[in-house]
This record gives sequence, C-alpha cells and structure tokens, in this order.
Amino acid sequence: MNKLRFLILVTVILAVILPGVSAQDGDPIVAEPGQELNMVLLPKTLGNAVFDQAHEGAMEAHEELENPGELIFNAPTPDNAIPGQIEIIESAITQEVDAIMISANDYEQLLPSTQSAMEAGITVVTWDSPVAPEGEALFIAQVDFDETGQVMADMALSILGEEGGEFAILSATPDASNQNAWIEALQTVLEEDDTYEALELVDIVYGNDDPDDSYNEALGLIDSYPDLQLIMAPTTVGIAAAAKAMFDEGLCSEIAVSGLGLPAEMQEFTELGCAPQFALWSFTDLGYLTYYVTYLLATGAMEAEEGVTFEAGRMGTYTIEADPTREDALRVLMGPFSVYTEENIDEWAMDEEEMDEEEGEGDEEGEMEEEATEESDAG
Amino acid sequence: MRRVRYFIRVQQLREISLLLILAAVIYFFGREIEDYYTARMYNRIATQVALIAVIAVGQTLVVLTRNIDLSVGSIVGFTAFYLGDQLSKNPNIDLETAVAIAVGVGATMGLVNGLIVAYGRVPSIVVTLGTLAIYRGLLVEYSGSQSIQFRQLPDWIKTLPSEVLYENFGLDLRPLPAIAIGVMLVFQVVLLYTIFGRRLYAIGSSPEAAELAGIPSRRMIMLAFVISGALSGLGGFMYLARIGTITTDAARGLELQVVAAVVVGGVNIFGGSGTVFGAFIGVILISTIELSLIRMQINEFWKDALLGAFIMVAVLIDTFIMGWLRALWSRTELRRASSVQKVQSI
Repeated sequence: MNKLRFLILVTVILAVILPGVSAQDGDPIVAEPGQELNMVLLPKTLGNAVFDQAHEGAMEAHEELENPGELIFNAPTPDNAIPGQIEIIESAITQEVDAIMISANDYEQLLPSTQSAMEAGITVVTWDSPVAPEGEALFIAQVDFDETGQVMADMALSILGEEGGEFAILSATPDASNQNAWIEALQTVLEEDDTYEALELVDIVYGNDDPDDSYNEALGLIDSYPDLQLIMAPTTVGIAAAAKAMFDEGLCSEIAVSGLGLPAEMQEFTELGCAPQFALWSFTDLGYLTYYVTYLLATGAMEAEEGVTFEAGRMGTYTIEADPTREDALRVLMGPFSVYTEENIDEWAMDEEEMDEEEGEGDEEGEMEEEATEESDAG
Repeated sequence: MRRVRYFIRVQQLREISLLLILAAVIYFFGREIEDYYTARMYNRIATQVALIAVIAVGQTLVVLTRNIDLSVGSIVGFTAFYLGDQLSKNPNIDLETAVAIAVGVGATMGLVNGLIVAYGRVPSIVVTLGTLAIYRGLLVEYSGSQSIQFRQLPDWIKTLPSEVLYENFGLDLRPLPAIAIGVMLVFQVVLLYTIFGRRLYAIGSSPEAAELAGIPSRRMIMLAFVISGALSGLGGFMYLARIGTITTDAARGLELQVVAAVVVGGVNIFGGSGTVFGAFIGVILISTIELSLIRMQINEFWKDALLGAFIMVAVLIDTFIMGWLRALWSRTELRRASSVQKVQSI
C-alpha cells in the first residue's frame, strides 16, 4: 500500500466519520443573525391567550435575530379550525414564505398541505401539537407527556397531604389527544408508585373546554362525591371555571382546584386559596424556542437530524432527539414545568405584564391593544 | 274538574302540560339519583337557568313575529368581553352603570339586526347568521386575542353570583335567578296586556292581516330584535359575573340552547303562539335534564345523545298530553256552547 492510497483512505474515512462526530460532540450550532426570512406563526386558533404569549416569544426571537423579513401571525377561528389552517398554509405557499411554524389542529388532516409546503421548499416546524412525521421537519414539544402525569400527581399529593383522599379529573373533550395522554400518564404514576397510594381518582369528567360546561361539571363532581377534596383540571379553561365554581359556592377551603392553568388567569384564585397549586410551561418560551429552531433550519445552518445540538438564545442549549411518543419523528423537548403557588404567582403574573409593555414599544399595530392591557393591569 | 276547565283557558294548557312533564322529569331523576331533592340541586338549576332564561325571553318575542335571532350567542360574548374590559379599566363603574352599558351595547347590536330584517326585507335567519359571525369577528378584533381575567374585575361583580337576597329552607334566591324571574314576569305582562305584545301575536299569526289592520309591523319587528339584543346584553353581564374569565370563545353556541328552550317551551317557530312563561319552563326543563345527567355520571360520549333523546321524549309526551287536554277542553266548550244554544232556543 503506497502512501498516497493510504492518505486517500484516511481522508475518506475521516470524511465519513467526522460530520457525525462534530454533530454529536462538537460545539452547538449558533444562529447567525440578520438573515432575511419570511415566517408564518400559525397557532391552533385565534383568541386564546396562550397562543398570544407564544407570539410574543416568537417576536422576541425575531427582533433578537435581527431578521429583516416578516413574522406573520395568523390563525383560524375556532369553528373553522382545520379548514382554516389548511387555507392559511396554502396561501403561505403561494406567497412563497420561507418557514411555517404550526400548532396543528389535526394530526392527519393537515398532512397534505404541510407536505406540499415542504415540497415547495418551505421549512415546516410544529410546536405545541404535531402533525404526522412526514409532514414536518421536527416537533417542538413543550413537556414530556409522562412528566405531565408526574407533575399532576405531585401537586395532588402536596395538596392532599400524606393521608391522601378523593380527587377527580375535569378534562377538555373526551377525544382531546393531549389531555388523554396526560391523564393516562397520571394514572400510570398513581398505579406504579406507592408514594401516591393514598390518592384515589374517583372520576373523570369532561367540560369540553367550554367555561359553562366546565363550571357545571365541577359542581356536579362535588355533588356526586361528598368526600371529594380536589379537582384536577389539565386544561386552562377547565381549571379557571372550576376555581370560579368553588369560589361562587364558598367551597375554596374544602375543595382545592389544581391542574394546568395560566398564571394571569389563576392569580387571584391562588391567592384566595381556591387553587393553591397549578402548573404550566411558558408559552412565551415555547414561541421563542420554536422561532430559533425554525430560523436555524430555514437558513440552512442546521439540519433536522437526531443528535444535532444548537443554541437557542437566552434559553440555552438543546439537542434534537428521536420522539419517544411517535415513530420516525424528531423533537426538541423544551420542558420543564413551572409550578405556581401563592409564593411565586405574584412575580410570574408581573413578568407577563412587563412582557406586554415591552411588546407595545416594538409593535405599532399592537400598540392600541397593548395600551389597553397596560391600563387594565394598572387598574 | 269541570270548574277547573272553566277557569283555565285553552291557551294556558301548554304551560300546564309542560309543568306536568317537568314534574315527571324531576320525579324520574329523583328515583335514579341519590340525594337529588336537595337545596343544592335547586340552587344549581336556578343559577344555570338564569342566563339562558333571560335570553330566551327576548328570543320568544322575535320568534312570535315569525323571525329568529341567531346572533344572541355572539352578542352575549361581545358584551361580556366589552363590559369586562370597561370594568377592568374603570373599577369605579357601579352595578347600575354596568348593567346599563351591557344592555345598551346589546340593544345597539339588536337594532342593527332589526333594521336589516324589518326595513331591508332580508329573511331574519340570513341576517342573524351573518351578524352571528360579524359580532364574533368584532369580539376577536376588539380583544386583540387577550382574555378578560378574573383578577381584573371589581370585587362587587366577583361576589355577585354567590350573594343571597333571600333564603328559605336552604333555598337561596340569588341575584342572577332573581334577574331572570323579574325579566320573565315583566315580559309575560307585556305580551299579555300591552298593545305592543298583542301586536306581536297579530304579526306572527298573519302578517298580511296585521298589515291590513294598520299595525306598524316593521317597527314592531325591529323593536322585538332590539329587545332581544338588549336582553342578550343583560345576559352578557350575567355571563361575565358567572364565568369571570372571558375569552373570545365566550357563549359560543348559546343560540342553539336558547332556540331549543324556546321551542320546547311551546313557542311556535312559525310565529303567532306561545308565551314567555312557557319558554321559561322550557329552559328549566332542559337545564334540569342537563344537570341531572351530569349527576348520573353517564359516559361522556352518550351524554349529548341522551340529552337530545330526553328532550324529544319530553316533547312527544307533551304533544300527547296537549292533545288529551285539548279534547277535554273542547268538550267543555261544546257543552258550554250547546247550553247557550239551549238557552237561546228556549
């Protein structure tokens, strides 16, 4: 074997191995600011506060990365959720945008349109709620579904104490895939871990994410189970309605409400003792992280491959991994949960207000509304 | 029995039949559910009835004139949000002003419906389907996808739903049901004893005849829509007080519940007959079935189907009882008529 052939062989081997190595162990990929991308942020529906927070997070990243392009925020109305999202994707394709960030209303039905977007060279990233893997580059998962079950079990235990007691779940719709996965995870935790032996899950009811229905279902629970001590609602609509129902009936000292809630909506109920503890991830952070990932992918700085590590501004370093809940799918897991109690609810609610004010400066269109919020917050 | 038949007019049979059905429904659930006859259950139903009842009263006026108002859910949602926003900006607004704002906003929206239906001669189902979407769109636009949060509201509205005006045997009279009963009584009197009320029946019975008789039909129809809007505005105030957290989704789909209650309550969808009191019982009937089904812990997938089935059975039995009662009464009428004839012949 002569030296030349040996050198070629070594080079070839290195060339094959090295990219993999650099992706595994190398420095995280850092975004280069100032590249022009037109991006669409497409949440499930209009009029939901959490998606507005995700928008704020995305705008924060948009400014941070000095993207001279446009960040378009658009969503369908709730009664037109799936067709509305398809329409918005189709029109984004004709407008030749560079990237679409979507929280999908349906796992299968949006597939044809997100696939044709990808064929047109558009980067499609899902967040909050994914589509099937062939219709997305990757999914930004807010939290691990298993972790949701664990967090709910922990909150229930900390509210009910060692001696435990009866509790019930007030969910969204019976076929809401997120909620069902979380409830299942909670049940697994309760069954498998002896720590939670004293907690007795007596019923699961559904308020259909309608405030009125949720309110009635919460009252129905306390009428049906005289020994009930806790209502766990893994939905922001359900938890607020249940807390209001307990407040109206003067039952806050007897029956606690917990679950997944928005700090701004729950603050007063937490302070009054109606909802002593609840949890949520930050939608602002979710929007921010989603924007970073999408920017990196759309500028070509990063490939959507397992094991790739990157830096997402203020939130630090993340790694793309295989999605354990879906076959052949990639995800970036944001996590963790924030648990809100009387001690920290104040500062969190304050944080959100400050964020509102910051946005008011940068966004002329939103200024009127932001002013309204500022005033109302002051009041 | 014969005496009773002389005192109760045929027009009131509908209400009696509905009351019988309601009693049967309550008896049925009382057997199925433990601890059913409690003050708690009554309070639940009373609060649930309040909101829908107020809106159903307005809807009754509109339906009497052979029209329909499908925009009520959106009006409730918009006023609830608008009022919540105003209250959070000016916490000094008191109860009276708040109600006035809500009723005013609702009436304005009703006026738009009424003007287009009455003077534009567009079928009301088309107009109000349009404003159903438009008013909801206004709400989404106005809200800037923010929500009204409980903590932003002044204290008096937070505690309003749980206040007790009068208590007896653990049965509370709370402000929201009190509003509903008040509204129902006022409009029952208006429909039965005022010129405006009688004209609504006339227009619904025969628009042509009403026109020929010189009844200002258009103005009356417009007024019915304004009242429906105003009461929906009042409903918006009640929705805000009850729910506390208002999103752009507030009161979506409420119009169907209201129309269902009105029809079950014996108001003829083709106009001309029915009463506010009947619609009120219709609301109580549906709410009772709904809340009792929640207590029965039925599989969620069956609940809506069962609610529908219960309502249908109730209406079927109602038709049956009505037929029977009518026959009884018509015999009385015949006898009365024949005795009059006898007197005349003598």
